[in-house]
Amino acid sequence: MNWRRWNNIIHRDLGYLCFGLTIVYVISGIAVNHINIWNPSYRIEHLKSSIKPIPAGTPLSMNTVTGILAETGETGLYKNSFRPDPETLQIFVEGNTLTVNLASGEVLQEKVKARPILRQMNFLHLNHPKKLWSWFADLYALSLGLLAVTGLFVLKGKKGITGRGAWLTGTGILLPLLFLWLYY
Amino acid sequence: MKKILLPLLAFVLCTATTVCSYSGLELGKPVTLKQVTKISEIEKNPEAFVGKKVLVSGTVVEVCSSRGCWMNIASDTPFEKIQIKVVDGVIVFPMSARGQNAYVEGVVEKLSLSKNEAIDYYRHKAEEKGQKFDPATVTGAETIYRIRALGAVIEH
Repeated sequence: MNWRRWNNIIHRDLGYLCFGLTIVYVISGIAVNHINIWNPSYRIEHLKSSIKPIPAGTPLSMNTVTGILAETGETGLYKNSFRPDPETLQIFVEGNTLTVNLASGEVLQEKVKARPILRQMNFLHLNHPKKLWSWFADLYALSLGLLAVTGLFVLKGKKGITGRGAWLTGTGILLPLLFLWLYY
Repeated sequence: MKKILLPLLAFVLCTATTVCSYSGLELGKPVTLKQVTKISEIEKNPEAFVGKKVLVSGTVVEVCSSRGCWMNIASDTPFEKIQIKVVDGVIVFPMSARGQNAYVEGVVEKLSLSKNEAIDYYRHKAEEKGQKFDPATVTGAETIYRIRALGAVIEH
């Protein structure tokens, strides 16, 4: 068997092996690229409502918290509460944070839900698991490199690396350099 | 013997309240310190802690929703909190940590910001929270003390 046949076998089989994770990286890559305009891992919903104001100096007890939760219709599991300043009470329940202005009775709710699938994809893409996953991701990156190199030599002739392929490969190298020149 | 043992036992029980026994979601490097430093102590005299490794504990009251690269934990004194910062991606604090108790081991750091740097700092924080920012709220240079986290445990 000549070297090109081996090259094509490696390219084909690595392509199959890398398909799944490449799709994960494609979707997550686009998602996290635009982190300045959206949250790729969580859906955050803000709701405004109001409760009966709580007069200054009223001691805040668990009953007060329970009353606020009942007034706002929040039934999630209570976790904790915090007073960032004398006028404000924050109540943390599962998936929701209620920020209550005690004097005015204004309540701002911040409901957080993880984006299904996308959050898991970002988790892998951004290497949050660390540990063994780091090594696996390195192996995947090396495989992508090998895919790229073997890809250059799949075809021979005019459409291969000695013809059209050379122009396209050159363009692919020049494009990121152009952006470096523009922005770096 | 009892005269020695009883006060000794009382001392051990008292100090035991400041020694943590943590279990939960472990993030970053393992927490090695045993003695918890009160956040109020750091805030009372931050200069004394700059560059020192500490273990703090408190309720997580805010988490960076964009990257999970910082969180605020409540102090043991009312109306106070401290920021816990990590290098993006090294530790990612989950949004679900809000309202839960956390133990954080890290180094206290001091940020001395000029007025312009402070404006940039607060603008960036507002952007992360998706809030509007008015530069006029920054009136001058600022010093911020925060903890550069090495490891954390978010209790379930």
